Amino acid sequence: MADEYDVIVIGAGTGGYVAAIRAAQLGLKTAVVEKQKALGGTCLLWGCIPTKALLEHAHAFKIAQHAKDWGISLGSAAVSIDMGQVQARKDRVVTGLTKGVEFLFKKNKIDWIKGTARLTGSGGVDVFEGEQRTLRAHKEIIVATGSAPRGVPGIEIDHKRIITSDEAVGLREVPRTIVIMGSGAVGVEFASIFNRFGSDVTIVELLPRLVPVEDEAVSAELEKSFRKQGITSHTGAKVTGAKSGADGVDVDILLADGTTKNIRTDYLLVATGRGPVTTGLNAEGVGLQMEKGYIKVDSLFRSSVPGISAVGDVITLGTPGHPQLAHVSSAEGIVAAERIAGRETRPINYDHVPGCTYCDPEIGSVGLTEAEAKARGYDVRVGTFPFGILGRAKMAQETDGFVKIVADKKYDELLGVHMIGPRSTELVAEATVALQLESTVEELIRTIHAHPTFAEAVGEAAHATHGAAIHS
Amino acid sequence: MATDVVMPQMGESIAEGTVVRWIKKVGDTVDRDEPLFEISTDKVDAEIPSPAAGVISEIRVKEGETVPVNSVVAVIGSGAAATARTTTPEPPVQTAKATEPPKASPQADGASAPPPAPRHYHDREDEPVAAAATPAAPAKIEPVASRPPANGSTEDAIRERSSPLVRKIAKEHNVDIAQIRGTGIAGRVTKDDILGFIDKGTAAQGRDRQEGQEGRDRQGGAAKPASVSGAPPVTTIAFKPGVSDHVEKMSVMRKRIAEHMVLSKKTSAHVHSVFEVNFGRIAKIRDAKKAEFERAGAKLTYMSFIIKAAIDALRAVPIVNASVDGDNIVYHQDINVGIAVALDWGLIVPVIKHADEKNLVGLSRAVIDLANRARGKQLKPDEVAGGTFTITNPGVFGALFGMPIISQPQVAILGIGNVEKRPVVVDDAIAIRPMAYLTLGYDHRVIDGAVADEFMSIVKKSLENWDPNAI
Repeated sequence: MADEYDVIVIGAGTGGYVAAIRAAQLGLKTAVVEKQKALGGTCLLWGCIPTKALLEHAHAFKIAQHAKDWGISLGSAAVSIDMGQVQARKDRVVTGLTKGVEFLFKKNKIDWIKGTARLTGSGGVDVFEGEQRTLRAHKEIIVATGSAPRGVPGIEIDHKRIITSDEAVGLREVPRTIVIMGSGAVGVEFASIFNRFGSDVTIVELLPRLVPVEDEAVSAELEKSFRKQGITSHTGAKVTGAKSGADGVDVDILLADGTTKNIRTDYLLVATGRGPVTTGLNAEGVGLQMEKGYIKVDSLFRSSVPGISAVGDVITLGTPGHPQLAHVSSAEGIVAAERIAGRETRPINYDHVPGCTYCDPEIGSVGLTEAEAKARGYDVRVGTFPFGILGRAKMAQETDGFVKIVADKKYDELLGVHMIGPRSTELVAEATVALQLESTVEELIRTIHAHPTFAEAVGEAAHATHGAAIHS
Repeated sequence: MATDVVMPQMGESIAEGTVVRWIKKVGDTVDRDEPLFEISTDKVDAEIPSPAAGVISEIRVKEGETVPVNSVVAVIGSGAAATARTTTPEPPVQTAKATEPPKASPQADGASAPPPAPRHYHDREDEPVAAAATPAAPAKIEPVASRPPANGSTEDAIRERSSPLVRKIAKEHNVDIAQIRGTGIAGRVTKDDILGFIDKGTAAQGRDRQEGQEGRDRQGGAAKPASVSGAPPVTTIAFKPGVSDHVEKMSVMRKRIAEHMVLSKKTSAHVHSVFEVNFGRIAKIRDAKKAEFERAGAKLTYMSFIIKAAIDALRAVPIVNASVDGDNIVYHQDINVGIAVALDWGLIVPVIKHADEKNLVGLSRAVIDLANRARGKQLKPDEVAGGTFTITNPGVFGALFGMPIISQPQVAILGIGNVEKRPVVVDDAIAIRPMAYLTLGYDHRVIDGAVADEFMSIVKKSLENWDPNAI
């Protein structure tokens, strides 16, 4: 006898648990199948939350290291960091948040079914590897199984010396040296963390610049800043081989100039991307149309099989570059749940998804880069304002970076805002609202930015787009 | 003491006026009530008399400029000579009208007796409120109560459902945002909506883009910037005049007519019903009584008979004397008949108020008086407002019949074709009779064909069986 629900969500990551809460809020009887011991998925357990917790430690360490600059006396002993305590605090933060999701489930009367889900067709879900249950969804199944770090051919991840972000986030020692493959968000964030903790960090990026999805100016600024901080970046370079031993890894690198380089390092962190997780799901068995392992969905997240939706990292919309971001997953989860509940929904505009990279200096961006805007045929004009001029930045001693606005000359449409520098991951919220409301640059100019704040850089960059900033 | 001259409140729903011409200039001496300037508003063109005697010390609004009601347009200083003058005791029409207490706004009156004043759907929603709330008395000398000008209403209305970018694109392409179906949050018109609208022209709008087909077609490509690349978007509205073309800006009146006609076509489900009426009997009566009427200083026209017949039919079929207000039908107690008057510079529809209280002579006089004053720019704004039914006479120019557009917020309009002698069958014989086609344009939202034809049958019967004594 099957347990009956309106909606069954598979996976309790940000996509899944948010979809479940929204469905329950709208009066649907909802269950979530999750095989992990805690709720929250990648974001809470290995991703956003723990890495950002580590970054806060790195930031605190940075302030302590420069205590003298701030007039703070810490005695004569060298400032050091205790990774055991760092990890303990990080785990407390994570546990607190996963318990929070559990509480939300109870509050919304959502059943958490512990185990692995297998689709059986016609609304059926079998749960195994945990509770043995047979479930049936009357309305819809939402697949939100997420993603996992993906390796590259020829590099064998042993999870000891050749590791992924899953292991890196839990390291209880500060590596003496670490080589990071890939300079996406994960790569550069760990580069900043370990560099700050005292590791000797080398980044190897296949593409010609760091953070390749960002605006070129942002990449250039980050590379400059990394160089200043002592992080080595090899762009246009490739890891051709890696052999792990008991206490380190031998990494072979083919550099951009064609020369090869061999580095002996404590750890090799493979941060080249994440792939979909559909193990045991029987996705193809029930007829789900797949594309390179991802579940193909339409703009309202319906799969090719009626009664099955999918959201988050596991999906593809058929267009390249579906962003694997927690906030995208939850937005998709809400859309899917509301549609299932019969509410009015509309497709997500993926041009208005903010991206936040918590390296040092931080990157916040939303909308089209200058190159993308040009490629789409816009007559582009840009405006840039450096943080270094701002009083607020000088006080904080965080003067690297800038805000860059990409706009369309014809209608003055705001197309993209790209920032690197202090609080950029927060400041991008303003730009996101502006894009969502289809603002012109004029709106940003006329918006009064409080003084003294970092946000002034946004207003000034808008002025710069129209000719000249006030303070430069 | 200096007196401010303000843009007068020319009617309940009028929020602004355009100064067309200054009759006096700075330094000129004016008497009180002497024509000072000419204005053009949504409703009428009018000469505005000076509110005071004195010397014009300042003119603040240039010819052609449009300003909100109650804006100061000029200042009159009291010259020594001017103060000595005696002022004309009787104010002219405009000032007399202007000093009347303002009517309660339609929104303000409660559930009580007076029938709701017809709403002017062609005006921005907020205007009637703003206008009625203004204790405007332009002729009075005391300073006008200061309140923010009622401008920006258009902007506000648009703001509710578009974005800065959409407004910018709309301005550039001269597109009325109100025409576009919004698919954004709360029905907002988005960039994709307006670019799609411009691309496809006005016709292809209105598809449900968010569910179903398109949702699937788009496959998340929601971000696609429609038509940004390559050639500029084609618009059906944009138009480039040739070298030999003569370009002239529309007058205020022309613009209002244009807007109103399009709005009416969009608002009402127009249907037309044509009846042929034998005017033989009316012709006879008219010939017999013509001299008598002329001695009384009136003219007995076919029009007066038709108005009278229409009034009787309106009484019998009240739905034709009505308005649509959202989901409600408003039946008007009063019968106020608008008569379309062609002008050299456009068209105006003065209204015979309480037409049902007038006899043939009264109606005849009213028509002639209103038409004359319309041509002489002497109409009071209220005389062109408040109609509940309209009669237009394309026959005057030889048309057999017209297919008139309803004057909003009314629901019907009667068009009169040329009265001409035609061979007709009378009692199985062919006879020559003065005949005319009468057309009823009606709003099928509230008037069905049978009802319209019932109305027209009554009109026809009245005209063909007129009691010669009922004059």
